[in-house]
Amino acid sequence: MTNVVGAPNESESSTALVPILRVERFTKHFAEVKANTDVSLDVLPGEVHALVGENGAGKSTLLKMIYGVYTPDSGRMLIDDVEVSLGSPAEARNLGIGMVFQDLRLVPALSVTENMALSLDVGAILRPRALAKRIAAASEEYGLAVEPRALVQHLSIGERQRAEILKVLMTGARLVILDEPTSVLAPQEVQALFGVVDRLRSQGFGILIVTHKLNEVRAIADRVTVLRGGVPILEGVKPSDYTDEQLITAMVGHAVPALPVERSAVDADAEHALSLESVSSRGDKGHEALKSISLTVRRGELVGVAGVAGSGQRELCEVATGLRDVTSGTVKIAGLAAATPRKAIDAGAVSVPEDPVADSVVTRLTVLEHMPLDGRPFPRRRWGIDWARIKSKTAESNDRLGLRIAPIGRKLFELSGGNIQRVILTRELSADSTLVVAAYPSRGLDISNVRRTQQVLLDRRAGGAGVLMISEDLDELMAMADRIVVLHDGHLSGEVLPADYDRQHIGRLMLGGVA
Amino acid sequence: MNLIIDVLTAGVRGGTSILYAGLGETISERAGVINLGTEGSMLLGALAAYMVAADTGNPWLGVLVGGLLGAMLSLLHALLVVWRGANQFASGLTMLFLALGLTSLFGAAYVGRTITPFEVWAIPVLSDIPFIGPIFFEQNALVYLSYLAVPAVWFLLFRTKWGLLIRTAGERSDALTVNGYHVKRVRIAAVTAGGFLAGVGGAQLSIAYTNSWFENMVAGRGFIAVALVIFASWSPIKVMGGAYLFGAALALGPALQARGVGINQFALHVIPFVLTLVVLAVLGRRTISAAPAELKRVFENGPPTT
Amino acid sequence: MTLTDAPPTAQPEWLSTGKKAAPAVVRWAVAILCALAAFSVIIVFKGASPLEVFGDMWVSTFVRPRSLVEILNTMAPIALAALAVVVPARAGMSNVGGEGQLIVGAIAAAGVALATDQFLPGETVMVLMLLAGIVGGAAWAAIAGMLRLVFQVNEAVSTLLLNFVALDLLLFLIYQPWREDPSGQPTSRELVDTAKLPEISGLGIGIGIVIAVVAAIAVFFVLKYTRWGFKLSVVGGNAEAARRAGLHVPVLILSALLVGGALAGIAGMIQFAGIEYKLRAGFGLQIGYIGFLASWLARHRPLPVLLASFVFAALAVAGDSLQLDAQLPAATVSILTAFILIAVLGFTQKKGAAL
Repeated sequence: MTNVVGAPNESESSTALVPILRVERFTKHFAEVKANTDVSLDVLPGEVHALVGENGAGKSTLLKMIYGVYTPDSGRMLIDDVEVSLGSPAEARNLGIGMVFQDLRLVPALSVTENMALSLDVGAILRPRALAKRIAAASEEYGLAVEPRALVQHLSIGERQRAEILKVLMTGARLVILDEPTSVLAPQEVQALFGVVDRLRSQGFGILIVTHKLNEVRAIADRVTVLRGGVPILEGVKPSDYTDEQLITAMVGHAVPALPVERSAVDADAEHALSLESVSSRGDKGHEALKSISLTVRRGELVGVAGVAGSGQRELCEVATGLRDVTSGTVKIAGLAAATPRKAIDAGAVSVPEDPVADSVVTRLTVLEHMPLDGRPFPRRRWGIDWARIKSKTAESNDRLGLRIAPIGRKLFELSGGNIQRVILTRELSADSTLVVAAYPSRGLDISNVRRTQQVLLDRRAGGAGVLMISEDLDELMAMADRIVVLHDGHLSGEVLPADYDRQHIGRLMLGGVA
Repeated sequence: MNLIIDVLTAGVRGGTSILYAGLGETISERAGVINLGTEGSMLLGALAAYMVAADTGNPWLGVLVGGLLGAMLSLLHALLVVWRGANQFASGLTMLFLALGLTSLFGAAYVGRTITPFEVWAIPVLSDIPFIGPIFFEQNALVYLSYLAVPAVWFLLFRTKWGLLIRTAGERSDALTVNGYHVKRVRIAAVTAGGFLAGVGGAQLSIAYTNSWFENMVAGRGFIAVALVIFASWSPIKVMGGAYLFGAALALGPALQARGVGINQFALHVIPFVLTLVVLAVLGRRTISAAPAELKRVFENGPPTT
Repeated sequence: MTLTDAPPTAQPEWLSTGKKAAPAVVRWAVAILCALAAFSVIIVFKGASPLEVFGDMWVSTFVRPRSLVEILNTMAPIALAALAVVVPARAGMSNVGGEGQLIVGAIAAAGVALATDQFLPGETVMVLMLLAGIVGGAAWAAIAGMLRLVFQVNEAVSTLLLNFVALDLLLFLIYQPWREDPSGQPTSRELVDTAKLPEISGLGIGIGIVIAVVAAIAVFFVLKYTRWGFKLSVVGGNAEAARRAGLHVPVLILSALLVGGALAGIAGMIQFAGIEYKLRAGFGLQIGYIGFLASWLARHRPLPVLLASFVFAALAVAGDSLQLDAQLPAATVSILTAFILIAVLGFTQKKGAAL
């Protein structure tokens, strides 16, 4: 990690500093869930404090209390050593707390300047040119390169993030909260972000960064607080005082079984489960999303796909399952042409989509009613559907896969994102198939379900299926894939074999560098 | 040549009511709310303006009252949709029904009564310009006002904070909440403002165009305005062009008849609606994809069936 | 942060439905009362007496024996027009074109009848009219369907515009080729007596209502128990999910619209052959829109649609009597209809439904 500039501040001398933010024993319980219990935290000026925990550990509840969205059941909060009680985000902002949301509350159809005008005090008549000048000046001062006139929808995620941070700074924040900022960035972009964070640190800002990635904590944080089940396990400690294992145990409470490293070798002569030859395809906006991609996945092989978000992963998955037309080239599943969803399904393909809520979920229908939507013909009973048969099949799959899906009578709108993911996974992965196309299968799941899902995918691989797995988690890919291909801007910028698995190397390919 | 000038002049005059309603609906839809009750707001505006003009002899007062009544109806729609979460299409049609009933009940006494309408007032110098002069500058005051209304609405939407709030409400409402604004209030204000303009459009119809009142006199112009906003991509300038296009289409029939040309009047009357459909078809997917994001959801989500 | 940010509070289902049922009845009652109160204010404004008006409406609707017959007859096309909204709604589409589909269905039925009723037996003509109504209504809906499939034109807008085109088509026909009396009111020739829809064994109730009830039951059954009905639910819930499940979304959407149009076409046929017997300038006016609103009132469910249609039919009949007895224009009752809808839409639905 040679790119992080400057050493963290010495914590001994910082005891003389007044913390920008101090939270004392925040507790927040909802009807069924104890979201936060006795959580304390403080952030000094010129410090980066990491808040770490698994999904559901209570990080977002804590943030919401700090930002004035929720009021704590008990506990107090001090800003610059003065006790405050926040009723709204506006009050938090006035006191210098700035929040950069994970989903970046920028309006895509408006320009950067217009987005800023929403948050800054600009008066009734907008003066775009004057505002643009202000933005350019601030951009210079804080080292955040942002083009004021650009429409947000044309900016990359990294640029949007910079714009959002700039906005937060321009509204007078002294504490900058970053909520999972790196989940959509490539390693080099993460480094760029850390450069920004470092510069802000040296300018005396306090930074609270929320993450669940330990390597980032080590890279940038001066202190770390670990939450698990709403309870602080480690409070404001120096990361260098702990080993990885200790930190992981703090996060998950038990030793996490590693993935089985020993697995059967890939049969080089195996049939191709998926074969893409010089495939090009258009994205929804009419741009060329895939540019002459050639890729094969053999039966019994797991091929991982890495890449920065928006490099063509969605289109790749859709082309591989017949959901998207190709403008040139051929797509074959088990040797059969697969140009429509029906043909792909008949050839033995199943898919776990990237965004199940948008793509696979019919909110008004029940879990049971989703089960026949796997693309195969409905089990018939006179002029209707044989629900009894589907019921028993579902129960059987649930037992086999062990993901413990919600009761079948529940409607999907009642379920959380993780629950939905489990329902879709159980449906798609229950039967043997020729090809499994899984896009971000672990997203939204807690660690034990992630492991189970990963195991199921490996089981499918062992059972002779070809698995194409898209993931943003390089560690996951490196642990599971027989080889990793990297998508960049619609091309395959490279292929990496296990011997060469390395974050920097893959990261470079993700950003278009040469192997 | 004369025919063309006549048609275009009548087109501008006849299209003005559609223009006002279209500008109003642009504001409303930019905030994410579609108002099928625009037709109703125009009806109420037309009757109210006529009643006031007939009883007080003051057409400007009539315009004001017409606008206010149009605004009130749209306010009701806005409250139902934004505050109570009612479906936008159902609420809009209900407003139309309400307006039909109210105007039928209260308007019966005014059928056949005369008023002092807006006079045509040629603007000196400008009205002498060949071709453009008579078409645009030999009109009545409400038409001239509409020429100002277009840039005013543009300025409102793109150069004021209010307009920014309205557009943000239609694109990404959580960006408003995050900055401490109330999405509901912004939407309600936008829809009400739209209703005011629709009411003015209705007023223009009764006291500056037909100079009469009869039941159901809006005859679909409100719906044309709603469709117009869609294929004008929610841009005030394009709405102006489209409104005049439809005005001309509506004026074509009577103009041809006056010249003794025997084209079927029903065929001509159908032209604006068919034209709208054709344009929507030609623009195809681009129309809805250019929509404000929150409005897109209204179109794509259809009715919920629980 | 996906569907639910705050943790969901689970309740046993029987408890939640029980809790909802009692206040729902109360809420509806309050809503209706508020609507009546608001309507009274308008009446007073007009200088009439609300008590007199309500009295008139009550007597004419519930006391006179003839009225129930009238209500049931009026209800039939409304219910079918409402069903014409229900089926496409299941597939996620807003069919606001019942008005036009009804008119075209009636025109088709009339066309067939006027060409054959003087020499074919009555029953045959009736069957032909029914088929023509179905085809006419479906064809009109198909225009909007094709516009949606090929050009992605939103069906709410296209069906609405097509209503006006249908209206002009009707006017054209009764003013020109089909005009019966060149000097009087423009109408078509009246249907021959043998081809008029019969009544149910001398009760005075036309068989239109039977057709409507049968249709409602059929729609209920098809939507709930057939594969096609299930597929429509999937498409209506999430078209992308339907596509990924291998369903033929365009075919399903088009078929839903066609069925809807056909139902409205049947309504038009009943209006022609069972109620008005000829085409005229105000033929079937607003039945399509009333049907749309009735479907909304019934939350797009086929069986409650019958109840909603009954209510709207009762209101329409009351309106007619208002015209006769209180000298208030019949359209006055639209005000009451609108207030009831406002009260129901605004205060008895689950909050946060479609925005």
